[in-house]
Amino acid sequence: MLTLAILVPLAGAALLMMASGLGLRAARWTAVAFAAVPLLLLVIVWAGFDNGPGAPAFQATAEVPWIPSLGVAWRVGVDGISLALALMSALLFVGCVAWPMENPDRFRAYYAWFLFLECVSLGLFLVLDLLLFYVFFDLSLVGMFFLIGRWGHGEAERAALKFFIYTLAGSLAILLAIIALVLSADPVTFDMRALIAMQPLAGMDLRGGLILLGFVLGFAVKTPLFPLHTWLPPAHVNAPGPASAILAGVLLKMGTYGLIRIPFQMLREAFAAWSLPIALLALASILWGSIVAFAQTDMKRRIAYTSVNHMGYAVLGIAAAGALLTGSEGARSFALTGAVVEMVAHGLITGALFLIAGGVWARAETYEMDRFGGIAQVAPKMTVAATLAAFASLGLPGLAGFVAEVQIFVGAFAVFPWIAAVALLGILITAALFLRMLQQMFFGKLSEARAGFADLAPRETTVLAVLLALVVLIGLWPRWLLTLVDGATQTILGG
Amino acid sequence: MTLWLVPLLPMLAGIAIAAFGPQSRRALAAISGGVLAATLILAVLAVAGDWTGALDWGGGIALTARLVPLSALILVMVPAVALPVTVHAALHEAQRGLPRLVGLMLLFTGGMVLVVAAADLLTLLIGWELIGACSWALIGHDWRDRDNPASGLYAFVMTRFGDLGLFLAAMAAFGATGSFAYDALGGLQGPVLLIVAYGVLLSAASKAGQVPFSPWLFRAMAGPSSVSALLHAATLVAAGAYILARLHPVLSAATGWSVTVLSVGLATALAGGIVAVLQNHAKRLLAGSTSAQLGLMFVATGSGYPGVAALHLVAHAFYKAPLFLAAGLAGDRAGTYALDRLRLGRVMPLVAGAAAVAALALAAIPPLGGAWTKEEILKAAEAAGPWVAFGVVAAGAMSAAYATRFLLLAFGIGKADDESPAWPEIVGPLALSAVTLILSALWLGPVSGDLAALLGIALPEGSRFWLALSLLVVALGVASGVYLSRESPDLGTAGTAAAAADWLGLPTLVFRAVVQPFERLATSAASLDTRAVDGGIRATVTLMEWAARTSQRFGEAATDGLPEGTARLTSLAGRDLRRLQTGMSHHYYAYLVGGLALIIVFLALGA
Repeated sequence: MLTLAILVPLAGAALLMMASGLGLRAARWTAVAFAAVPLLLLVIVWAGFDNGPGAPAFQATAEVPWIPSLGVAWRVGVDGISLALALMSALLFVGCVAWPMENPDRFRAYYAWFLFLECVSLGLFLVLDLLLFYVFFDLSLVGMFFLIGRWGHGEAERAALKFFIYTLAGSLAILLAIIALVLSADPVTFDMRALIAMQPLAGMDLRGGLILLGFVLGFAVKTPLFPLHTWLPPAHVNAPGPASAILAGVLLKMGTYGLIRIPFQMLREAFAAWSLPIALLALASILWGSIVAFAQTDMKRRIAYTSVNHMGYAVLGIAAAGALLTGSEGARSFALTGAVVEMVAHGLITGALFLIAGGVWARAETYEMDRFGGIAQVAPKMTVAATLAAFASLGLPGLAGFVAEVQIFVGAFAVFPWIAAVALLGILITAALFLRMLQQMFFGKLSEARAGFADLAPRETTVLAVLLALVVLIGLWPRWLLTLVDGATQTILGG
Repeated sequence: MTLWLVPLLPMLAGIAIAAFGPQSRRALAAISGGVLAATLILAVLAVAGDWTGALDWGGGIALTARLVPLSALILVMVPAVALPVTVHAALHEAQRGLPRLVGLMLLFTGGMVLVVAAADLLTLLIGWELIGACSWALIGHDWRDRDNPASGLYAFVMTRFGDLGLFLAAMAAFGATGSFAYDALGGLQGPVLLIVAYGVLLSAASKAGQVPFSPWLFRAMAGPSSVSALLHAATLVAAGAYILARLHPVLSAATGWSVTVLSVGLATALAGGIVAVLQNHAKRLLAGSTSAQLGLMFVATGSGYPGVAALHLVAHAFYKAPLFLAAGLAGDRAGTYALDRLRLGRVMPLVAGAAAVAALALAAIPPLGGAWTKEEILKAAEAAGPWVAFGVVAAGAMSAAYATRFLLLAFGIGKADDESPAWPEIVGPLALSAVTLILSALWLGPVSGDLAALLGIALPEGSRFWLALSLLVVALGVASGVYLSRESPDLGTAGTAAAAADWLGLPTLVFRAVVQPFERLATSAASLDTRAVDGGIRATVTLMEWAARTSQRFGEAATDGLPEGTARLTSLAGRDLRRLQTGMSHHYYAYLVGGLALIIVFLALGA
């Protein structure tokens, strides 16, 4: 089932490349259909997912041997964390593919790259083999590189190159760490489940620390954490809106997901020993991301920097959850569940924000906020969507971000009280910067240059409505999501 | 039945009205009035039936709602005040965006009901932040003038700073007890209790417009006057005083907490009084007075009588709301809120009458209910010490002075050169002032005694001396209010008085000490970050050129594919950007080959 979810988009991509006679509309709907199949499959997996006590940690598993001598195999399976992230990613892909292209040029290739990217993104969340994980981790760069470089605007190629090189450097650190980790295992295996159970580096101080450093460095680039975040703003600013939404919504999650799955789960002792520096790095990201975002004059750069801030919360939760090997289970499971919910919430919220930003570019060809004003008058639907997304992003109760952040703060406070307390300042600054953005762009007097600014088209409205409806649902009644994620965090922290 | 019904009804109805509400004033008034009347009935039923609510969020979080006598009182008060105010908004405020305004006012009311009904810190926090967000939208209602959303932002960010205290309190309480419930707070001790107690105080002080957070209340005046009435009487500001009274039993155990609450309240009562006396802007005068009256409630809670604070909160709600509505009618008619240019008593005599009743209650003139609750606060202050009592008496003098000044300047006898407002616009203030008149019954010993017993409120004992002194000083206050309005009606328009009237310079201080430094910090951080970006680009390019040269040097000896790849790699780094994309796949494969080579090396070493 999961294998199918990974391969169907790839088949769709191949089909799109070959079907040369396809028009824009047909290509788009083909892509939407292929993008939606994994979502459907994942919902079926979710429906059959057993959350009861004693249920296996990873479910819907399948295994096909590949290189037995190295312990490499095609292994797929999900726990509550990866299933939640994969579901969110699949949904976001459907939305981004359905979203109108900013520049309908070479559209078959555009949609093919999106499906390719969906294949590798889902692959990353669904596989249970470290080698495959690494392959998908790297291939995600390729897909995003072409989407930014070929369909972006401004200095797109330069930004794409920077994104590629920077994150590739990070992934090389991960590759080294993976090899070292696997070689420490006895017998050698790339099976994540076996490695988690084995804890191959338990009791090894220096080696454990070095391998941890490799993973943390690589994932910190991808997440991104301060001070390794500088590839993010140019990549976002020059990317087309839907690619930006995927970059922020799905690709950044690979960093935090990897952090949980590999160093946190496989190197428990080393992670616990180094959790304080990681938490401090997260705090720096939270504060720096929000402060720098506040000073941006470019709408998309501002949103991009808030991603640094929000992913900082997620990493803070992860660090707090992994800080101890035993004790404070309640608070630590809060922190970890909160971190995962933050990833899901950030995917939906920031995905929506970047799609809106893409819509703004498609209409005005600028992101400079002071060149707008009063567009609420001509674009009321976009104003409502932007306001809702902005409030969700600043953590307003009743919306998804709050559920995540309150759990992270509460959980982290039990472990790192001072860091959690100082991190609270982040939600104050994000409040100021988002409200300022709304004020500058949507309110005030409508300038003549923007008199023809069109409101959201029906297709855009539908996509945003689905994403934001989920944001509201998670905010008001998150039980279905929390139960799913909490089952996994209990297993991780209990075992 | 579930207690959630009471907040949910106005919230859902409000969202529906904001999205699909009719444009017609009468229809809007009827719908919103019907919803709030139903909310009021539900609230009464909830109190009578002792309803509770619980919602399991999963992951170990549950939201809970439950009433205690004190919250029951406020639960009924909130829709009772919101009903006439919202109907008035539907009948009076500008037509443009009216459904949105009315819908948001219902949402605002629902959020406040949630604050009142909450039985744990998380539920409280949800309602607490929700009313903050509603206030942003309502203050910036007329968004075509960008100053209004800017004022909304100011109010939201300043009150959210206080919200951080509540976040901190919730975090600390959960860390110590494993639960957010109010009931679990009783067992707290030591630093955790301090964090919870002072965290709640911080958020209460910021919402209630206490020093040093008072300036946001002035900015909040950018909203329509119906919004001000709701915000000052029944919702946002009231939430601050309510939560301190509600949590007083557990929080007063924290060291120095009561004294701090009392000091903050007294300082605000006195400073707010001075500001209000000097103000020439009708709504700002009332805003200053709100801070001051809420300060008196803080004094009551700090003195150990939270029930008295709650009673004053109710009395204040019923006289402050009509004052704002009346000020709005006057200001909209005159096109200005400058007190020295109003005097509309003969134009709108009925409004003036309603305002007179409310202003006399604000001035604490017996037999109005506001006077009784204020004298109860004085008795509570006596218990805390003579200096506190003296401060309350002084604050009372200023209340009397600014209430009189407001009434005489806004609704004094002027020219009758205009038509009086139509009935629909007068109903709201009249109904509210009628309740203020009814509250006079509090002076009857049996009535107030029974009420206190019903609500489980302890009433303080006081001496005749302080009561007499207080009444005398109130009379002096009224006299000076009359004097000021006759002799210097333009007080606060120029010079020192004008400067002091702007919250004694607090807004400037906030701007210079917080806003400006933060903006500078953000700008320099951003430029640092951009320079780091540039540095990053340069370093990457340099690194790649070096890598390309190095691999070219060794490339000849390597496989056939590598030279091709590195040649393109060189071009990546620099000049022909157009060719970069095609080069990338090769570049990528080069890395893959490198990675595989590394694997082999490791395997060889490991084997």
